[in-house]
Amino acid sequence: MYSIKNIVSFIAGLLLSAALLAQGNTFVFTPQWTAQAQFAGYYVAQEKGFYRQAGIDVRIEHPSATQPAMSRLRKNECQATTLQLCQALEIVDGGIPLVNILQTSMNNAMVIVSARGKDPLTQKGARVGIWSVDFGQLAICMSNRDHLDYKWVRFAQNVNLFVAGALDATLAMSYNEYYQLMQAGVEMREENVYRFCDHGYNIQEDGVYMTRDYYNSHMEQARRFAQASRKGWEWAAQHPEETLDIVMRYVEKAHIATNRTMQRLMLQEVLRLQVDRESKKREFRLRPDMVQKASHLMKENGMLKGEVTYESLTPDP
Amino acid sequence: MIQWIRRKLSVRVSLWVVMFAAVIFISALSFFFYQARDAVRQEAISRATQILDNTAERVEGILNRVEVATNMTKWLVQRHPDNPDSMFVYSRGMLLNNPDFYNCSIAFEPYYFKDKGRYFSAYSRHEGDTIRTIQGGSDNYQYFYMDWYLMPMLLGKPSWTEPYMDFDVPTNTSNMVASYCDVIKDGQGKVIGVINTSLSLSWLSQTVSSLKPYPNSYSIMIGRGGTYFVHPDTTKITRQTIFTQTFEQPDTALTRLGHAMQRGEDSMMHTNINGESCYVFYQPLGATGCSIAIVCPESDIFGGFDRLRHTVDAIVAVGLLMMLYFFIRIITRELNPLRRLAEEAETIASGQFDAKLPNFRRIDEIGQLSHSFGNMQQSLVKYIDELKDTTSQKASIERDIRIASAIQKGMLPEKFPSKTDRDDVQIYASLTPAKDVGGDLFDFYFRDEKLFFCIGDVAGKGVPASLFMAVTRAVFRTVSVRESMPDRIMATMNKIIAEMNKNSMFVTLFVGVLDLPTGHLYYCNAGHDAPLLIGAGVGMLPCDSNIPVGFRPSWKYTLQEAQVFTGTTIFLFTDGLTEAMDANQSQFQMERVTDVASQALAKQHLEPQQLISEMTEAVHQFVGNAEQSDDLTMMAIQYIRQQRDVKLRKSLVLPNDTQEVPRLNDFVAEVCEAVGLDSIVAMQVKLAIEEAVVNVMKYAYPQGTRGDVTIEAVSNDMRLKFTIIDSGKPFDPTVLPEVDTTLPAKERRIGGLGIHIVRQFMDSINYERSGNLNILAIRKNLTDNK
Repeated sequence: MYSIKNIVSFIAGLLLSAALLAQGNTFVFTPQWTAQAQFAGYYVAQEKGFYRQAGIDVRIEHPSATQPAMSRLRKNECQATTLQLCQALEIVDGGIPLVNILQTSMNNAMVIVSARGKDPLTQKGARVGIWSVDFGQLAICMSNRDHLDYKWVRFAQNVNLFVAGALDATLAMSYNEYYQLMQAGVEMREENVYRFCDHGYNIQEDGVYMTRDYYNSHMEQARRFAQASRKGWEWAAQHPEETLDIVMRYVEKAHIATNRTMQRLMLQEVLRLQVDRESKKREFRLRPDMVQKASHLMKENGMLKGEVTYESLTPDP
Repeated sequence: MIQWIRRKLSVRVSLWVVMFAAVIFISALSFFFYQARDAVRQEAISRATQILDNTAERVEGILNRVEVATNMTKWLVQRHPDNPDSMFVYSRGMLLNNPDFYNCSIAFEPYYFKDKGRYFSAYSRHEGDTIRTIQGGSDNYQYFYMDWYLMPMLLGKPSWTEPYMDFDVPTNTSNMVASYCDVIKDGQGKVIGVINTSLSLSWLSQTVSSLKPYPNSYSIMIGRGGTYFVHPDTTKITRQTIFTQTFEQPDTALTRLGHAMQRGEDSMMHTNINGESCYVFYQPLGATGCSIAIVCPESDIFGGFDRLRHTVDAIVAVGLLMMLYFFIRIITRELNPLRRLAEEAETIASGQFDAKLPNFRRIDEIGQLSHSFGNMQQSLVKYIDELKDTTSQKASIERDIRIASAIQKGMLPEKFPSKTDRDDVQIYASLTPAKDVGGDLFDFYFRDEKLFFCIGDVAGKGVPASLFMAVTRAVFRTVSVRESMPDRIMATMNKIIAEMNKNSMFVTLFVGVLDLPTGHLYYCNAGHDAPLLIGAGVGMLPCDSNIPVGFRPSWKYTLQEAQVFTGTTIFLFTDGLTEAMDANQSQFQMERVTDVASQALAKQHLEPQQLISEMTEAVHQFVGNAEQSDDLTMMAIQYIRQQRDVKLRKSLVLPNDTQEVPRLNDFVAEVCEAVGLDSIVAMQVKLAIEEAVVNVMKYAYPQGTRGDVTIEAVSNDMRLKFTIIDSGKPFDPTVLPEVDTTLPAKERRIGGLGIHIVRQFMDSINYERSGNLNILAIRKNLTDNK
């Protein structure tokens, strides 16, 4: 005999299934870092209703300490994430085919900031901070290529180590750690900052990726998401202060220890990096030459087993 | 305002005094306030420093405890590095023994314990009243990338991490935490892990927040990276660093402060924070790398001091103003007598010399001034009185001189005969004195058929000369009545004048007698300029050198004669003409006089008035605007008598016997008939001639001597002239005074009646002595009597 308790359990189960089904239609997008202006375009697209207008229900879920972005993608907990081009190459080389549905960065943002005002290139064997996550491939290539033999110190957070004098130099993103270091009182001069983009390593970074499997079955959704996201970025470029308001709402919500000044600088720099050096335009495309260059460099340094081609990353291989 | 200050001595003096006092006050107060301010500042510094020292000491005490406990546990871990499970005991023990510690983890290098995998971290923390101990490392918390793990490794020494906010999910609270960490080594000295003990710094932030030495002061605490851990604006805590706001608003002071605090300096800075002048006292907090600062607005530190200063400033300002007011009042009162004195002086200056001066009864300088002023007033009054007398005397003298001038002018002839008045002579003269009264004179008058005239110049000018001139003119008139010859007139005048001349004055004088029927001129010149004769040519009348009148009574003056022809003008003048001076002190001179006379002759401008006017104009032109230096007198006499044809000439010589009178009467009757006189007039003429001839017969020759009397009758169309000539003693019947017919006949002088009859019935009588002859001419105009 079915007890009332069982009936209740059944109905509850049904409702849960419906909820799960509804969740199945939601497009979860996970930026690869905590909430900050680096992802302003997506916040704008969400807040200004560009996704809704495109007919997709997007939820932006930042990675937590327990759930990094790539792990969420693998587990299908999100449908798209941002990755740096070099990261994407490694993942594809590692056997997970990815599709770049939107390329936002057109320039490389990585810099080496040296302590004590020294040129990073003169500090052979120095202890250089590098992210514990998989950024900084180009720095390793450069260190090998120029025989600098840096001792890489993987960090979760580099500012305090650097300020405390525990590092001789550290890698930094020109839109993030670079300003954090400045905010910590580090003086940036020509001689103690090395910009990869100016030394033949101008490789694109952030782009939006999804697994090829998912892409193949959700092409239209992917296309719409990419378009709406692009629209978000373009709106952000035209309305930086309103964009900043939106960013700060995300930042506050996530209890991120940052401030509007830092986020403004980050937004300006991220938007600057989106403008192609040659065309002077916001192109939103992956450049085959850059893919090829990154692939060659990483293969040379044993980071890739084989070549990863531009075509293998594009929607239509 | 400035005008008012300049006018008021009291205000000026008061201003000076108050300004001087103000300078002294301001200097003294400035010094005092400077010193006091420094003292207040020192007090503030020591106060803030003490607070900071106390805080730092307290923090260091606790940090020390953490460090000691950590070291002891580390020692235990290193003694037993092979037993991973004991690590849980050690970390838990740490919290058990030190309940105020926040957490403790003993973490090892990846795969250090082979059977424990990549991560092994014995982690304990308080959870309510209990202590939870777990293995803390995982893929999601890869502790070896954390600051607390990396710092001691990289730095090679124990160190405190930067504080961080530890968010506790179950309690939804966050704690500010700092960790002390040190490496764990194995027996070979190889680093095998890190021990980390954390301390909640919430109490510290509260303590630091409450550091408030002044009402508006506040405290901040920053970490190594400049991050705010304590700040009055809580939104900045952990989110901003001390440098953040300098990105948008460059602020070198704040940047400097941030760097100084980062370097762990223990000091003080006077700077502007957010536009407010502040003193910032800062000090590092032990080994944490943090630095605390107390920001004290200057207005707070010096608030009491400033209030005191403003009060004192106000008192001084009010005091100085009151001082100014009272000084002005006092000085005004003290100077009041001076003001009254000045008013009295004004009154005196306006003419009231007898105004009464106030008596101040003071013995100071003002009293002395008043006294001196009184003396001055008395002297002034006296002087003014004297001046009045002198002025009235002078006015009286001037009035007298004006009258004298009028009298003098009145003495001179004013009516000049012209050709309408006479047919024989016309005269014109002008006298221009250099002063009100002058010493020049001229005069003329007719007696019988003679013109008596004179011109003279008394030496000197002014009143004495004018008096002398008056005397001279009076004497001339008196003497010339009795004398007909100029030399005798001159001699008599000289004698009279010289005798009464006590002051040795003298007069140059020209005296002339023109016989009008004949144009014969008799003259005598006593040192005067020779007259010009302007007729056929221009020539000077020759003059003997006689001395002027008034020197020597016995001087014999010489007589000179000349014939003046009809149309000729005698031009007489004083040296005021020849010596007239222009602005350059050069004189008109005789040449110019002669030139003007020659021009007048050339133009036939010889009528007296015309000649004098041309001469006057020439002199004026020459003198220009120069002041007249001497009296200027000119006189011109033109002889204009026309000679007529003789129609009848008869003569009769009789002895001096009155028996012959009938012959005479017949002769006269015959003549009268011949010229056609009516019987009455003929009777009168007969009577007059009889009187004159009988007079000669009786008196010309001495008693008993015989002598002849020649009677000559001549007539023309106009006149009938009888000339009676005798060779007896000189006798001029014309100079006898006229008979006073009011007297009884007995008292009348003899012969006087005869001349009276002659003058009565005939038109003119004229006497001349020529050689040893007395010639008496008696004329009767025919035109009236036919």
